[in-house]
Amino acid sequence: MSNLLTWITFLPLIGAVVVSVLPKGRPQYAKWVAAAFAAVDLGLTGWLIAGFDRARGGAMQFAVDVPWVPQAAIRYHLGVDGISITMLALAALLGLLAVVGSWKVTDRPKTYFVMLLLLQVGMNGVFMALDFVLFYVFWELVLVPMFFLIGMWGGARREYASIKFFIYTLAGSVFMLVGILALYLAPNSGTFDMLALAKLGQAGVFRDIEGWVFLLFFLGFAVKVPIWPLHTWLPDAHVEAPTAASVLLAGILLKMGAYGFIRISLPILPHAARAWAPWIALLAVISIIYGAAVAFAQTDLKKLVAYSSVSHMGFVMLGIAAMNPEGLNGAVAAMFSHGVVTGMLFFIVGMVYERTHTRQIADLSGLSAAAPVTGGLLAFASFASLGLPGLSGFVGEFLSLLGAWRASTGTSPLFWSGLVVIAAVGVLFAAAYMLWMVLRVVLGRPSEAVRSVTDASGREIGVLLPLIALTLIVGIWWGSLLGFVDPAVKALLAATGAA
Amino acid sequence: MGSIALIAPELVVLATAVLVLFADVFARGRERAAAWIGVAGLVAAAALALFGGRGTVALFGGQLAVDGMALFARVATTLLAAVFLLWVAGAGLKRGSVREFSSLVLFATLGGMLMVSARDWVVLLLALETATMPAYVLMGFDRKDDRSLEGAMKYFLLSMVASLLFLYGMSFVIGMSGTTLLAKSHLEPGPAGLIAAVFVCAGLLAKLSAAPFQWWSPDAYAGAPAASVAFVSAVPKITGVVAFARVVQYLAPQAEGLWIVLVVGAIASMLVGNLAAYPQQDLRRLMAYSGVAHVGYLLVGLAAGARPIAGATAAGAHAGLTAAVFYSLAYAVPSMAVMLVAAEEGDRLDDFKGLASRRPAAAWLLVLFIVSLVGIPPLAGFAGKFYLFGAAIGSGLTWLALIAVLMSVVSAGFYFRIIHAMFFAEPVKTASAAAPGRPAALALAACALAVLAIGIAASPLLAALGFALP
Repeated sequence: MSNLLTWITFLPLIGAVVVSVLPKGRPQYAKWVAAAFAAVDLGLTGWLIAGFDRARGGAMQFAVDVPWVPQAAIRYHLGVDGISITMLALAALLGLLAVVGSWKVTDRPKTYFVMLLLLQVGMNGVFMALDFVLFYVFWELVLVPMFFLIGMWGGARREYASIKFFIYTLAGSVFMLVGILALYLAPNSGTFDMLALAKLGQAGVFRDIEGWVFLLFFLGFAVKVPIWPLHTWLPDAHVEAPTAASVLLAGILLKMGAYGFIRISLPILPHAARAWAPWIALLAVISIIYGAAVAFAQTDLKKLVAYSSVSHMGFVMLGIAAMNPEGLNGAVAAMFSHGVVTGMLFFIVGMVYERTHTRQIADLSGLSAAAPVTGGLLAFASFASLGLPGLSGFVGEFLSLLGAWRASTGTSPLFWSGLVVIAAVGVLFAAAYMLWMVLRVVLGRPSEAVRSVTDASGREIGVLLPLIALTLIVGIWWGSLLGFVDPAVKALLAATGAA
Repeated sequence: MGSIALIAPELVVLATAVLVLFADVFARGRERAAAWIGVAGLVAAAALALFGGRGTVALFGGQLAVDGMALFARVATTLLAAVFLLWVAGAGLKRGSVREFSSLVLFATLGGMLMVSARDWVVLLLALETATMPAYVLMGFDRKDDRSLEGAMKYFLLSMVASLLFLYGMSFVIGMSGTTLLAKSHLEPGPAGLIAAVFVCAGLLAKLSAAPFQWWSPDAYAGAPAASVAFVSAVPKITGVVAFARVVQYLAPQAEGLWIVLVVGAIASMLVGNLAAYPQQDLRRLMAYSGVAHVGYLLVGLAAGARPIAGATAAGAHAGLTAAVFYSLAYAVPSMAVMLVAAEEGDRLDDFKGLASRRPAAAWLLVLFIVSLVGIPPLAGFAGKFYLFGAAIGSGLTWLALIAVLMSVVSAGFYFRIIHAMFFAEPVKTASAAAPGRPAALALAACALAVLAIGIAASPLLAALGFALP
């Protein structure tokens, strides 16, 4: 039982090794083996959730802590609290769905599924790591498989998009590496343990270096989130990536950045976080408006979804910058919901593209007439994305805005309430561009491209069903998600003295 | 007896080198037998070095001594040379005799082993020459090729100049201290002492092909057979860095400002190496510049080891030096492996096009090596850089560490040109020249395993070096 986290993390690695040694002549085995490993991994995660004590959601549970490199005090330290278990569940679920959603990949399938499984190792590990070096290892581990997924199975501009993704995110994270070392080498520190560092940070040990270390971490996390103006890799990568990779990019990799802010920047550098919070909130609101405005102008369906991510992640960052329970609960809920809903959108866009070989909105009108199920699914996902009350998207955005509003009772009321007003306009924008897209794609007279499409297959509906269910459950019963998140958020804020 | 046990590995390598040289007497007609004998001798030497322990070799009046760094470097170089000869045994050479080639590799290894144990200026110089002399021949091994000879000539000339710089500085040091023992080196305070130290370091910088002395290496490498480059560009760096670290250890505390020379060398090498690698079409030139860049990272560690900071402990300085030595191994393994694949496939970047479909296993191993050179965890290159930059920040050189990490990102661009060629580009040729033998594949697999192990299980290696992050 105590090794459960290790198993969840490295089971996909075993899967990757098994897939890579499968006999050459039978490429179709690869997807079955990959799916089996991903399914067992999800099963283990389910078992973890069942055993998780929600009342103690603020504490790290199932912890493993053994020395790794004693010469540098690096430890193999894993653990989950309510925030990480939420993200882990999302990663394990989307990981399995990505495998099943790639059932029709026939181009070098072995390599493809090995890459998906390797990606899963990094995604799982990053949300459990409590040692900073271990965290960095998992953080960087996702780069290489994602690079190959985009570069080998991507669209027309895949080479450019893959290298841009790699260099951009690598550039961000190496700054973080310097920050990690600076924290360790600060006087009276000498640890990479994130929990110990948080205690030291709250005691003010890093006062002298806090400002610039926060900036280094900001660069690492903000590129990943991404926050405007560091977002330019995202549209290229998301659009060129194959469907499953787009799902995981949007669903999990972006969350890693936001998770970094929550798990690292806030608790370890609380004073700097408070000082920088208004600026982050400002950038978040710019991201909301900018992402929405650019999404409006897109003629490519996948690009529209990609830019909507920039906008949605802006809400996440706004909630984090608020630094109060409402804001952080909202941020985590928005992260979860965005993972589920955008995953759904990318899957549907992939289904449509597979059948029509176009993603141009103008060429896709009348989808529901030709393929009612697909059209209905797209409409549902779009409603969830625009934040319709009763669906999951609403929870996060509402709480984030509430948190930001609450922050306006603090030092600079005018600034924060102004931000909330502008962000609320962003919600309106989201409704507008999404509904306009639904209007043009789902409704209307079937175009040449969609006239003869087949409707969603059983497998495709099966992939989307869990996501639809989660959208509804979280949207209607907020406590199903926040029951995990809230205790962790409260514990985190109480420790930083901000609650 | 203790003395003999300590230098037993060197004796074994020497005996093997001589044996290999005359291998055709008893293994007539079997060219590659020589390489196999070399592998056996080197593995035996590595085992002896590993279990022979540490201490001063009393036999030579304390001129040779084995400490953690020397132990590490002797085991590392002998094993790497063994892997290299294993590859030679499998793949053979395009031109020339395997027997002579293997023997030269063994002599170069012997020089390196003595270099890391040397505790005397004269022994250090002699060992340095013993290590480089065979390298000249290896670089010009393709006797019929003018470019190979030109490259060897350039290498020879600059290497001689480097030796003279070193010798010149060394004569100052010996004159000031009145003894040739390293530990008793004494530098007069003031400019004279600093000049002596700078000359010594300039000689070593040139030997390691650090900027601004880097210009010979791309030309020399581009003329030489790729197999020679694989060895000469990678393996001697380990022992060279140990020698450098030792010189810094003894001279830096007495030569205030020496660290600035190293910092300048580090920045120049990182910039020149990483930027000049971009336009290269010849893999040997590309890896030559990449080597310059990696020497730049190494110098970050040496600079950290040389920098006196208020309240710093000896352990702090030691961290920089040992981190540099650790990094030299983390660099040498993947770098050698990349050149070995080049020796199989061809020297030009175009020769790598379509390798992923021709030889997928080799292509994925190359990805592993390249990703390690970029410094992505959990591989060797990451571990190496992590401790290196940790030591630098610990010595107050945070800005230098920032330049170094940024340069690592820059390096990703040109390394990925190799990956691009292998995976994304249209093949130029359809078949590999000749399938290399199984031992060659084993050698590459060993390198891959080492790249993983150095990254994930760094702890025992760091313990052997006596490294501790301050």
